[in-house]
Formats: sequence, structure tokens, C-alpha cells
Amino acid sequence: MTRIGTLVLGMLLSTSFLPGGEVDLATPRSCTTCGQETYGTAVQWAGSPAEAARRARAEEKLVFVLHVSGHFEDPAFT
Amino acid sequence: MNALTSPEVGKYIGEHFVSSFQKVATFRIVNGAKQGGNVAAYFCAPDGRVLHVIAGPVDAATLLGEAKWVVDSVRKAIEESKRTDRNFKAIFRTWHAERLRREHGFVVKPVTFDSPSDPDGPLTFRDPTGRPLVPVLPPPPIDGPDVSLDGAGPVDVARLQRAEATAAGARKLVDRRGRRWVLGNKGRVHQLLAAHGMVKIEKIYGTIFQNILGERVSTAPVVTINGPESTRTAVCLHCESKRAVALIERGRR
Repeated sequence: MTRIGTLVLGMLLSTSFLPGGEVDLATPRSCTTCGQETYGTAVQWAGSPAEAARRARAEEKLVFVLHVSGHFEDPAFT
Repeated sequence: MNALTSPEVGKYIGEHFVSSFQKVATFRIVNGAKQGGNVAAYFCAPDGRVLHVIAGPVDAATLLGEAKWVVDSVRKAIEESKRTDRNFKAIFRTWHAERLRREHGFVVKPVTFDSPSDPDGPLTFRDPTGRPLVPVLPPPPIDGPDVSLDGAGPVDVARLQRAEATAAGARKLVDRRGRRWVLGNKGRVHQLLAAHGMVKIEKIYGTIFQNILGERVSTAPVVTINGPESTRTAVCLHCESKRAVALIERGRR
């Protein structure tokens, strides 16, 4: 199977579809299956800049790094 | 944060970038209210060299526009460096200088080579103990407003200056001839990157956070002043100085 096919299948299996076709709206807005958090944003965040750089090299992408004051993980503190 | 909640931004960033975040500075909580704190978004090559920076919070359209400029510029710069044998770094710095001229009306000469720097020299941001943290990268001097016939011209410079005066982070600067102008965060980033584009992120972030955003680089995420007793103790456990904890403990007794 192609890489894109694997990715699409993985997404279908991993998104919050429950048995019976119901969508689990209670699931937090984070990517729990691929190890990347969204922290309430529309962007998936790698665990560290080093990990992001490693993945960017492998996937032939650029790196987007956000430098913040305070706790990014908690919207009240960012 | 709001710009990052846009699905369009999320899609584009996800397609072209791998994202990460770091906490590099502190905001203060005084009597329960946030004071200070800021954000800088870096678009980098996979080896950590900085292509572009957005200093301070922006809306989704601006973030998306800048991300697209980076992706398009990287493609064009790769083609141009292959075709003309020009250095990729020099091309990118020239384009930052060009954006400063076109969008902000100022002429700056791009610096297309890097002189060796002394990590322990006087141009270094230091922590309170004097330990060197990151180098200070001086921006290249502004030659003055663009008065070329194909450029902004004196009338447009006046208009651009009025716009700059209300731009985020607008501050005064002096050009080579001693004339005073105003430039916001966006223009200052282009000015800095015209000389230090494609520098590693660990070398440039101090200058972005301290010189452009006016924040102090720190490893303590939050410092609370006059907060509730429990919060004060909890937060100060994260403080760099154990003396602060000791002072609070002494105050309790």
C-alpha cells in the first residue's frame, strides 16, 4: 500500500468514530493516536524542536517553531 | 493563539511544515492579572536555520500569508541558486531587504556573508549571574527612505511612516544620516533578517525576543507576584533562583 493510502487508512481508523457511526464529540481536540498534540489549535505539534527537525528532514518539509512566554499547553497561561 | 485555531492555517502549516513550540520567556502574574508575555513564530529549514520570523501575535490571514511567502520563496531561491550559482542565504537576505524597501519604504544593504562572532564577547545577552545566553545580533543600518524613481518615493514614505506609527511594536530608529524614523515589528524583522537570515534559531531568538519584542529571555515560564499564597509557592518552585523561595518561606514565618 502506498504511503498516502496507509496515512488515509490510519486517519480513518484513528479519528473519533465510535461503533455505530457516532462521532465522539467529547474527545479532546488532540491527536491521541499519532502522538502529536494540538493544544486547542488547528496545528499538530511535535514533542520537541529536535523531533520536528528530524521529521522535517524525513518528510522533506520545513520547520515551524513557536517561541512563547509561559505555558503553551494551558491556554490560560499563554 | 487565535491565528493558530484557523483550519486553513492548520492545513497549510501541516502540509508544508513540521511544528514545534518552546517556552523561552516569562510573563508575570501580578494580583492575578497577566503582564507581558509574547510570541514569536519561526519558519526554519530542517537544520534550524531561520528563513523568516513573525514577531508578536498576528491574525490568521497574516500568518498564512507569511507561511506561503516562505514556502514560495524557498522554491524560488532553490531554483535561482541553481540557475545563477548565487548563495541561497544571500538570496534570502536580499529578499528580506527588498520586502523592507517595498513594504516599509526603507533601504538597507543586505549582508551576504557572516563575520565570526565571539560567544563570550560583550555583544551577548546574559542571565542575572552573568552567564552568556545568546549573542546579540545587531541589525544592519538603515540607509534611509527609498527615494528611487521605481521605489516608494518621498510622498509614499510619509504615508508608510504614518502606517508604521500605528504598527505593532512601532519604535523610533535612526538611519545612517541621523534622521529619525519609526518602524514596527514586521519591518524590524526584515531589517534584521537582511543581515542575519539563515542564521540558526538558537543564535537569533534572543535578539528577536529581547530587541524586537522587548521581552527578557528566561527559562522560568511564569513568575507570580502578589498572587494567592499557594500559587506563589507553587510557581516559585519553577523560579531560577532558590533565593526567591527562601524569601517567601521567610516571609511566611
